[in-house]
Amino acid sequence: MLSTSSGVVYSRLLLREGDESVYELFIGPQHPSSGHMRFIVRLQGDVIVSVDPDIGYVHRTMEKLAEGREAIKAIPLLERLTIIDSHNATVGLVTAMERLLDVEPPPRALYLRTLLSEINRIASHLYGMGIAGIMLNHSTMFMWAFGDREVWLQLAEELTGARLTHTYSVPGGVRRDLPQGFGEKFEKAARYMERRLQDYMRIFLENPQVVARYEGVGVLKKSEASRLGVVGPNLRASGVKYDARLADDYGAYKDLEFEVPTREEGDCMARMLVRVEEIKQSISIIRQVLRKMPDGPILSEKYLKLLPPKTRERVLQEGRVKFPALFASLKLPAGEAVARAEMGHGEIFYHITGDGSAKPYRLRVVTPSFRNVILFRYLAPGHRFMDFPAIYGSLDYFPPEADR
Amino acid sequence: MGLVEWIVRLVLSPGVFAPVIFPGLLTALAVLLIVIWAERKIAARVQMRVGPLYVTRHFGGVLQMLADGTRYMFQEFIVPETADKVPYMLAPALALTLAIAPFALIPSAPGFAPVKSPYSLPALLAILASTPLSVLLMGWSSNNKFSIQGAVREAFMTLAYEVPLFLSALSMAILYGSMDLEEIVGRQFLPGALLNPVAAFTFFVAMVMSSGRLPFDIVEGEQEIVAGPYVEYTGIVFGIGMGLAYLKLYALSLLYSLLFLSGWEPLPRALYSVYPGLAGVWLFAKAFTLMLFVVFLRSVYGRYRLDQALRAGWRVYLVLAVVSILLSCLLRVVVNV
Repeated sequence: MLSTSSGVVYSRLLLREGDESVYELFIGPQHPSSGHMRFIVRLQGDVIVSVDPDIGYVHRTMEKLAEGREAIKAIPLLERLTIIDSHNATVGLVTAMERLLDVEPPPRALYLRTLLSEINRIASHLYGMGIAGIMLNHSTMFMWAFGDREVWLQLAEELTGARLTHTYSVPGGVRRDLPQGFGEKFEKAARYMERRLQDYMRIFLENPQVVARYEGVGVLKKSEASRLGVVGPNLRASGVKYDARLADDYGAYKDLEFEVPTREEGDCMARMLVRVEEIKQSISIIRQVLRKMPDGPILSEKYLKLLPPKTRERVLQEGRVKFPALFASLKLPAGEAVARAEMGHGEIFYHITGDGSAKPYRLRVVTPSFRNVILFRYLAPGHRFMDFPAIYGSLDYFPPEADR
Repeated sequence: MGLVEWIVRLVLSPGVFAPVIFPGLLTALAVLLIVIWAERKIAARVQMRVGPLYVTRHFGGVLQMLADGTRYMFQEFIVPETADKVPYMLAPALALTLAIAPFALIPSAPGFAPVKSPYSLPALLAILASTPLSVLLMGWSSNNKFSIQGAVREAFMTLAYEVPLFLSALSMAILYGSMDLEEIVGRQFLPGALLNPVAAFTFFVAMVMSSGRLPFDIVEGEQEIVAGPYVEYTGIVFGIGMGLAYLKLYALSLLYSLLFLSGWEPLPRALYSVYPGLAGVWLFAKAFTLMLFVVFLRSVYGRYRLDQALRAGWRVYLVLAVVSILLSCLLRVVVNV
């Protein structure tokens, strides 16, 4: 039952204009659970009639800002879109730039990128689960997930030198090689995480109270999911097996074996369980990466040979990239390139156009949260008002990402 | 000298000592601070963090709540332009009064009841049942959509928990054949929880619901309606709103201990001989332990949905309350306890 009068889709329930039993509630932008955005929620009694998400309270014109500066500076800028998942957010940009520049990163760099991407994915899912927990006022889940995120942030820091904004991938490779003893540290973290996931299941996802809140709430049907263009775990929880890691050839994913977990139910519970499964898959991917990682340089030969011989020697020895001067004003050739990557929240898509100058002529990004924001409008109507945070939490929606 | 003696005698008389000092007002306020601190500490332990720390670091931040209270005290009290001013200011005072009034009926030792009445149990329940009215008034007079939502939730919840609470308490009155709390304790040759476990369970759940503890903290649903009925309140009045639930929990825990945990029995004779009012220490210990358990639930549960809580209240706990009455009748009439 869809109403599209006056261009607004009110989805499942019909809303009559001037209906006095409808009660309008403005949630956010300053509200315990709205995030940096506003929702205009219309209620009839306790039942949600419509939800209008109103985005754009964090930052705007990230794309335009990126067009005003040298291409290389777009990487630290755009990782601030999704600061909790910053490498996954920029690996697509770097891939697109490489396609435009016609540079092939060495295999070791691809493996290292995949390694950091998966660490980021785990951290991002933990963030999402923590937020989902606090949306149900389950503070233990919130604290546990955020505390355990620290384990992965430390691993990422070990690898890249930065906790959140790693700026790890650069066109042609990565900035640092694998540090000594990373494997053992990872193995410890992985064993800890596997144990903790069982704890999460016990206290949160198998808790009768949480089951009562999640099962059958916010059901997204398979057909609706594909029609709305939803991405990420939200799509896979509705039974559509789509993952940008399989769809696009980036990183080292084609050499690795992993499953894309899907579920059929499409409700809040399914979305949470898909995330738990994805964390397990990510751990297995990292194990494979560490086992299979080839030796070799971490920056493309094309850029390495621009360095003076002594510096090049040191870079190869230390595993830390000293950028050739060219990087400061890396010229993007005329033409365009696209790339996509799978973030924790879903698929991110980059379209970059060069005109031969150091600045990108156009840089466009479609973020997963921007594609998922439509779900508020579709999933919430017909549910109780108290289901709204439950649905919000299960979508793992990240407002700054949509406000690009 | 006569005046000092008179004052001391007045303070130590059951009519003043029990409601004002122990286990009443002053103790209640101390309990309020300690139990909130304990709640934060317990949750922190489960959640692998430290909890309150910086104020009195060596004592685990025990004075943190006092510091928070002081901060509340000195915050500006803002009255919104659009609020209905008289009820807006009156309602918190009324709420606090109604939350503290039950202590006037709770005996802390044999013969040490502030108000002696053969109907102290229903009187206590009646006072407890009137607190939601002031919360409703708070929410309505704030004239804010979130607070009205909160007030409506309070109204819904009140009806859902009050009936099972009353029925399970009255089933114990049937079992003991008395409505006088002092007599009720005297009649428990076994703790009431063993005599009628159904009533004990129902009363416990209704108590958790009534005091707005998790998983039933629906009235102040922070994630949905910010602070519910208290959203427009600032400073110490907001603090009263927050403390209200804990005061109610304290009163109900004392009542639970009297009804189901055989109150002050076994009586600590040594304390009783020093001063009769101190016999209530044992009662207090039971009630406080119960409160600690109730606040521990925060680290296990999230929040139920309103309709789920209502369904539980009406379809499960009401039925259980009726069963507990039948059980009491059976025990009293057939087994002749």
